[in-house]
Amino acid sequence: MKIRDQKNFWSGVMFIAFGVFFVGYARQYDMGTAARMGPSYFPTVLGGLMVLLGIIVLIQGLATEQADGKIEPFNFKALVLVLGAVVAFGLLLRPAGLLVALFVLIAVSSFGSHEFKVRDMLLLSIGMSLLVLGVFIYGLSMTIPVLPSFMRQ
Amino acid sequence: MELIDNLALGFATALTLQNLFYCFIGVLIGTLIGVLPGIGPVATLAMLLPVTYALPPTSALIMLAGIYYGAQYGGSTTAILVNLPGESSSVVTCIDGYQMARRGRAGAALAVSAIGSFFAGSVATLIVAALALPMVELAFKFGPAEYFSLMVLGLIGAVVLASGSLIKAIAMIVLGLLLGLVGTDVNSGVARFSFDIPELADGIGFVSVAMGVFGFAEIIANLEHRQKREAFTSNVGKLMMSKEEFKYAWPAALRGTALGSVLGVLPGGGALLASFASYTLEKKITRNPEIPFGKGNIRGVAAPESANNAGAQTSFIPMLTLGIPPNAVMALMVGAMTIHNIQPGPQVMSSNPALFWGLIASMWIGNLMLVVLNLPLIGIWVQLLKVPYRLLYPAILVFCAIGVYTINNNPFDVTVTAAFGLLGYVFFKLRCEPAPLILGFILGPMMEENLRRAMLLSRGDPTVFFTRPLSLGLLVAAAALIVIVALPNIKKKREVAFQEAP
Repeated sequence: MKIRDQKNFWSGVMFIAFGVFFVGYARQYDMGTAARMGPSYFPTVLGGLMVLLGIIVLIQGLATEQADGKIEPFNFKALVLVLGAVVAFGLLLRPAGLLVALFVLIAVSSFGSHEFKVRDMLLLSIGMSLLVLGVFIYGLSMTIPVLPSFMRQ
Repeated sequence: MELIDNLALGFATALTLQNLFYCFIGVLIGTLIGVLPGIGPVATLAMLLPVTYALPPTSALIMLAGIYYGAQYGGSTTAILVNLPGESSSVVTCIDGYQMARRGRAGAALAVSAIGSFFAGSVATLIVAALALPMVELAFKFGPAEYFSLMVLGLIGAVVLASGSLIKAIAMIVLGLLLGLVGTDVNSGVARFSFDIPELADGIGFVSVAMGVFGFAEIIANLEHRQKREAFTSNVGKLMMSKEEFKYAWPAALRGTALGSVLGVLPGGGALLASFASYTLEKKITRNPEIPFGKGNIRGVAAPESANNAGAQTSFIPMLTLGIPPNAVMALMVGAMTIHNIQPGPQVMSSNPALFWGLIASMWIGNLMLVVLNLPLIGIWVQLLKVPYRLLYPAILVFCAIGVYTINNNPFDVTVTAAFGLLGYVFFKLRCEPAPLILGFILGPMMEENLRRAMLLSRGDPTVFFTRPLSLGLLVAAAALIVIVALPNIKKKREVAFQEAP
């Protein structure tokens, strides 16, 4: 069996996986009846539909050729750096405060670009810190910890 | 005249100093971000949604609407000057707009796009105001069965009129519906699909999904290829159309407005479809164009720009009157209303008349501001286009991350958003359109609720959807849409229509 359209084939696999997950996970809930639907009813029906649609897409991937059917390689560097920077920001915000978290977010995510420059990154960090302090903390008076926890009252 | 009373109330609301201010800020920020290539209105709205939490609901919605048409308009500026669509609905504007810029008529192209948009926006605002009352009256005739069928029609319409594979789009809707079900089930109190994580018992944050799938995924995708931007900054030219250009442009703007207004109301319609359709129409009906289309014909700018603005505006009708979003942007507006504890639907008009009519009136004011704002500020937008992407995207990430955090002051939401960023990137790689997912996500809980109610009332008899005439009509329309699109002849045309643009 040859995969003619990788994008469709793997989309199908993804849809089937999601469908199986939702149907399987919903089994622990009460199904109810058509007149009194339990929490499991609608997700089970939708999950089944999802699997069905996934199978159709998967078969399309096997059957029909597409000009741009080949999946281009993932840019793992950008993916990990951008999303990693965001997650790090979330984890750092409470213990380390906004300023540290912001710097880490900008520094780490900047590495994802082809044209990274240290000087630009530092200037951007300073500029964004001032802007965020001005807009969010003083302007909109949002309650975000600014300084690291050991420096706070 | 009830309509005039209502509009008077609307203008009284929208013209308060506070609301004018937020409308202005919305339009300004919207344009600012819309000008930047690679960030569409959906991502812009998702990014800025948290900023509006602190505002009173009316101001918040006025500001969000301002951001939307600001972003819409900013996108065309980019399309004309840099040949990069700032957002998908200005893809067609690139074709002739950029060619005009290369001929030294950038100023004329920008002017016609601003004036055409304003004209279309004004007409569409009137249409929204006029249609709102009858639509709401119709909506009150709807029972749960009708609502369910209407949502089916809306979702099907959204995929039929979108580009790309039909089956995959339907699958994305279903996935969205399923993701929308995560969290506590209102009827039984069971926390579904929550993995015993307390935060997930409240459901997945709507901003997390939109920001992750549209914002983060787009950034990562943009980082894949080195950015090459050839900004056309040397000479914008006079911001005036020649007499001849005006003569060609105004009928095109009229046709664009008419077509856009109609297409905006349809489920799945809105700015994108409107701009494509009107460009195709202009090409069809203009015999012997003085300048060939694709080489800088002013009609190719006037028509789609008017149409996308008209469509953007009239797509508010189903959202405001029925509570059913026809496209992803309106889905975001529904999300914003819910956050402010306003349940979208026909009751909004009677329970929050100031909000309802104020929002409509602010559309016109916002459009006026756009013209006043944009033409003199073109120089600044051009400068903005010179900001390199390596500086831009970390700044965008900062706003996104802070925005998501402040929704619940919870770092967990930031992680969830990152997870949806990953999912969005996978969608991008697999050629799965994410817009239907957002629609499904918003409609998931509503659909389940109406399905349950309808089935409860019919004592478990599913034929209720076919025996009630209104419901049957809606379902037949949905089925007809699928059949029509699946016909080989139409299928080919549909593919061609979406490939008009490069």
